[in-house]
Amino acid sequence: MLINSREIGKSVSKRQILKKQKTLQTIIIGGLIYLLIFAYLPMVGILVAFKEYKISSGIAGIFTSNWIGLKWFKEFIFGNMFTTVVRNTLVLSLLKLAIAFPIPIIFAIMLNELKGSKFKKLVQTASYLPHFISWIVVSGLCYTLFSSVNGLVNELLMKCGIISDSLRILTDGKQYWALATSTEVWKEMGWNAIIFIAAIAGINGTLYEAAEIDGATRMQRIWHITLPSIKGTIVIMFILSLGSLVNGNTEQALLLGNDLNREYSEIINSYVLKVGLAQFRFDYASAVGFMQSLISVILVFGSNALSRKFVGASLY
Amino acid sequence: MRSAKRKRKKRTLEDWIMDSVILVVMVLIVIVTIFPFYYCIVQAFNNGIDSTLGGVYFFPRSPTLDNFKTLLADAKWSRAIVISVLKTVSGTLLGLLVTGIVAYALSFEKVLFRKAYHKIYIFTMYFSGGLIPYYILLKSLGFINTFWVYIIPGMLNVYFMLIMINFYQTIPQSLYESAWIDGANDLVVFIKIALPLSKASLATVGLFFAVNQWNSWIDSVYYVTKDSLRPMSYLMMQIINKSATASSVTNAQSMGYAASALQSTTTSLQMAAMVLAVTPILAIYPFLQKYFVKGVMIGSIKE
Repeated sequence: MLINSREIGKSVSKRQILKKQKTLQTIIIGGLIYLLIFAYLPMVGILVAFKEYKISSGIAGIFTSNWIGLKWFKEFIFGNMFTTVVRNTLVLSLLKLAIAFPIPIIFAIMLNELKGSKFKKLVQTASYLPHFISWIVVSGLCYTLFSSVNGLVNELLMKCGIISDSLRILTDGKQYWALATSTEVWKEMGWNAIIFIAAIAGINGTLYEAAEIDGATRMQRIWHITLPSIKGTIVIMFILSLGSLVNGNTEQALLLGNDLNREYSEIINSYVLKVGLAQFRFDYASAVGFMQSLISVILVFGSNALSRKFVGASLY
Repeated sequence: MRSAKRKRKKRTLEDWIMDSVILVVMVLIVIVTIFPFYYCIVQAFNNGIDSTLGGVYFFPRSPTLDNFKTLLADAKWSRAIVISVLKTVSGTLLGLLVTGIVAYALSFEKVLFRKAYHKIYIFTMYFSGGLIPYYILLKSLGFINTFWVYIIPGMLNVYFMLIMINFYQTIPQSLYESAWIDGANDLVVFIKIALPLSKASLATVGLFFAVNQWNSWIDSVYYVTKDSLRPMSYLMMQIINKSATASSVTNAQSMGYAASALQSTTTSLQMAAMVLAVTPILAIYPFLQKYFVKGVMIGSIKE
């Protein structure tokens, strides 16, 4: 039980408060123990990135196996996969930032301009659907629709005479970046628009009325009222998405990537999984993963600090 | 909008153009979003061999339930469906219980050391030991190759916890106070007062937990080797990989599987599986829409 307001005036010792909060504190500490095991203990496991580790030596092996310094880090940086996976991770993230970030904003604005509340509701509901669908189903849809044998898209394009030879959307490495970006947009556009839709809904309606009386056109109203009103939200969301620049979409890379487009689809995450858990090079893969999470955490805290400084809002 | 009603202003040329452009774009968005699913349903209900001839777009040409029958008759698939349902139900319930109760405890402003606790919890959202040390941990704890590897490691989700904390904080403390005066302890207050009042947050976070569980497959690929523990999503991944390799060979002759004696092809089975995977989500999420929209808003940013 909490101390109530009457007791606050009296000087109550920490011990007495703790006694009153016995149940709550037990719950919270229970949660802490859980996190200690499942989140903080693996952080200790990062040690294997600096060691020669065999999985057969178990948890004890994390401490007892031989130190090897930065060997794995050097091997990754000077190895032949480094440029490929780092390039792919960064290019895909930047494409996401440049294309998949602004589209939900445009969608939210258009939705706001749409007449007819029933249809509006339908568009909104439909647009959320792909967010809840797994990447497995999405990749399954891609393999059926874009296949170069019998795929609907290729068949249609050929029937219309737009192309003469089927496009190898799924297997041509050069088309992978476009495929990855467009599936990302398709899947998350509606979901990412939620926050902008809400921001637009919060704009004071009298602003639009006044502008209308002054003879502003609809485009002018969007440009001078809607956009400036949601500028803050846009800036926050943009800065925060900078934090995930080196993360990449693991599921997408594993599912839409295949042997034929590997050179363009392999990202750091999928590489770590493959090298570590499929080839059992735990020590080397930990080193690669550790480098990535280090950069990632720096980006998150950096972008968060930026956000707090310039727009006064942060994640925590 | 209100002023338009009052004055019934004549629509300008700009209005006409903008309204039509927006309408066309929105209709296109709905089609592009919905059609792939519709196409998938059509294929799932069409005879598999007939589909390989092409040209089945809008309606099944040779309607059949064979694909579903073949799928469900396969012991591997029926077991996978059971595993998927079990892990979704137990994962959601346990997740809601654990995440919910910790969120409740942390939602009180006056809890001692609250700030420090928050920091320790939130740090885990941004930094992790990485996949490999995590795997070593699961292995040493004996979770590898058990059903619990799907459930226990995800029970306490810090992101969902933050959403729930924000919800709990909207419950006025005065509602709790009368119970405390009656001498009820915090657990009783949680069950009798906080839980019934937080239906919206339970619906939101419950949906998130359920969708995560229903869709997850990476855990099964890397943490499980027993076939009896495979969920539906895993089998689907396998079948999609199979048809992906088939489609990656451009030569039409490689479509050899179509010539098998079965009336279902790998692709048509895949379509049926995808319909089974999407249906429960499609049946639930529109009804929870008003809740999760609020949940996303509250969970995303704290000003």
